[in-house]
Amino acid sequence: MTTDFSQAFAGADAFGAFWSDFVKRMASGGIPSPAPAAPPSPDVLAQIRRAFFDAMSQHADQFMRSEPFLTAMKQAMEHSLALQQATNDMIRKGLSAAQIPSRADADHITLLVRGVEERLVDRLERLTARIERMESGRPTRGGAAENGKPAARRSGARRKSAK
Amino acid sequence: MATMGTTFGFPTPEQAFGAWQDLLRKSLALPKVLEAAQTVRVGCTPSRQVYREDKLRLLRYETDAPQRYETPLLVIFALVNRPYILDLRPGKSVVSHFLSSGFNTYNVDWGVPEGGDRFLSLEDYVTRYIDNVVDHIREETGSPKINVLGYCMGGTLSAMYTALNPDKVNAFVALAAPFDWSKKESLLQTWTDERYFNVDRMLEVYGNAPPQWLQTSFLMLKPVQNLMEKYVGFYENMHDEKFLEDFFAMETWLNDNIPVAGETFRQFVKYCFQQNLLIQGKLHIGNQRVDLRRITCPVLNLVARGDHLVPPSQSLPLNDAIGSKDHKAVEFPAGHIGMAVGSKAHRELWPQACAWLGERSDKLRG
Repeated sequence: MTTDFSQAFAGADAFGAFWSDFVKRMASGGIPSPAPAAPPSPDVLAQIRRAFFDAMSQHADQFMRSEPFLTAMKQAMEHSLALQQATNDMIRKGLSAAQIPSRADADHITLLVRGVEERLVDRLERLTARIERMESGRPTRGGAAENGKPAARRSGARRKSAK
Repeated sequence: MATMGTTFGFPTPEQAFGAWQDLLRKSLALPKVLEAAQTVRVGCTPSRQVYREDKLRLLRYETDAPQRYETPLLVIFALVNRPYILDLRPGKSVVSHFLSSGFNTYNVDWGVPEGGDRFLSLEDYVTRYIDNVVDHIREETGSPKINVLGYCMGGTLSAMYTALNPDKVNAFVALAAPFDWSKKESLLQTWTDERYFNVDRMLEVYGNAPPQWLQTSFLMLKPVQNLMEKYVGFYENMHDEKFLEDFFAMETWLNDNIPVAGETFRQFVKYCFQQNLLIQGKLHIGNQRVDLRRITCPVLNLVARGDHLVPPSQSLPLNDAIGSKDHKAVEFPAGHIGMAVGSKAHRELWPQACAWLGERSDKLRG
């Protein structure tokens, strides 16, 4: 019976790659391997640490771009959001039972106020356009602003996407 | 003993004594560390609020330096952190460079969005807040046009605004700002890929983009530096008072994340990170198309060469996308935050940027 060690530990390849990269960095940086007979000087220790951190940074970056990490991140996020959603629902039900407004109620009111604001701004801009036309002596009928088109500054897209 | 120690690679008595002395010095520095952590001050230049709208505050910096330019400068920061990074500490303040060069300088503090702000969209920020702020400055100073400096996401918002209102902007300085997300170079962009990140679901649950999520994401972009190297560096320099002041000022800012208004976050992630609409001229704010070619004013694009958050590939394409003939890109060897607080940037980059802007601004008459 043979044992495949690379299968036994999923991160074995990455682990090995990290250490070989670290050693390579030390060698290419001219950092001497600490001889057993003499303790390394602080400068050499700093160089070794630098090489270690650089190798680690590079491998961490590669790992965080890998499919397994991204999938795990997605799953963790989904679970966290599901938990938060359940908490939100529970709080909303409790508040509703106690006849206290919840965030959903506040959101609903905010949307209503924003809708009123948008309609008012649209109407104001149409009136402004109409007054400008009257002052300039141009006809007031038939302009884009009076055909029920929204004013340039505001659009219905915001309300739609906010829902 | 010494011989035996050397034979087995143990430290010599001199080295052990040195390490002991070092440890003692650091232990004695602990009260100073605690004091520096408690007395940290950020935002060094005095300012006065001159305009307010909802949670937004427009600050005008006060200085004794004589004003030399009639064209004022508006600084627009990102929505994810607080804007005092550009005025962090004496000697590390971008704002103070412009003030001492003679610019009347303003800064937008967006405030902290709350639950009710979740529906604020890019349209609100660009065509309402920024536009109202610009109009207020124009009215207050009597200058028909203003200079705009946008940092990070604030640079993107500023570019959108300048494209929509080219008649109100005299010159635009982009600082480490992203405009093109076509190259998947940044880790943040990989994480916000729609296959892995469901922004709608997140905002459905939280309303606004939660600051703790943003904070964790930024931290994990460079986990080794942020979770290990930084603290090793801190341990090595904790006896240095100047280092401590800078360290805690920076930490205060880094941990001062704020939520981002939900709808704005959704639009920014979808339209910019995922669909890359801005650089293609396909982004719509309300029902106006944002066409970067409409930016015809002078543009200075300051790009951080070592930026892990906004790599140069996201910033540099601005210069090819705009309609301006007077534009310049400067790649500076610094990181995203180093552009604002790095000693080298303050020594070399900002004096240049002030001179560039000064040459393109109206001088004060009389």
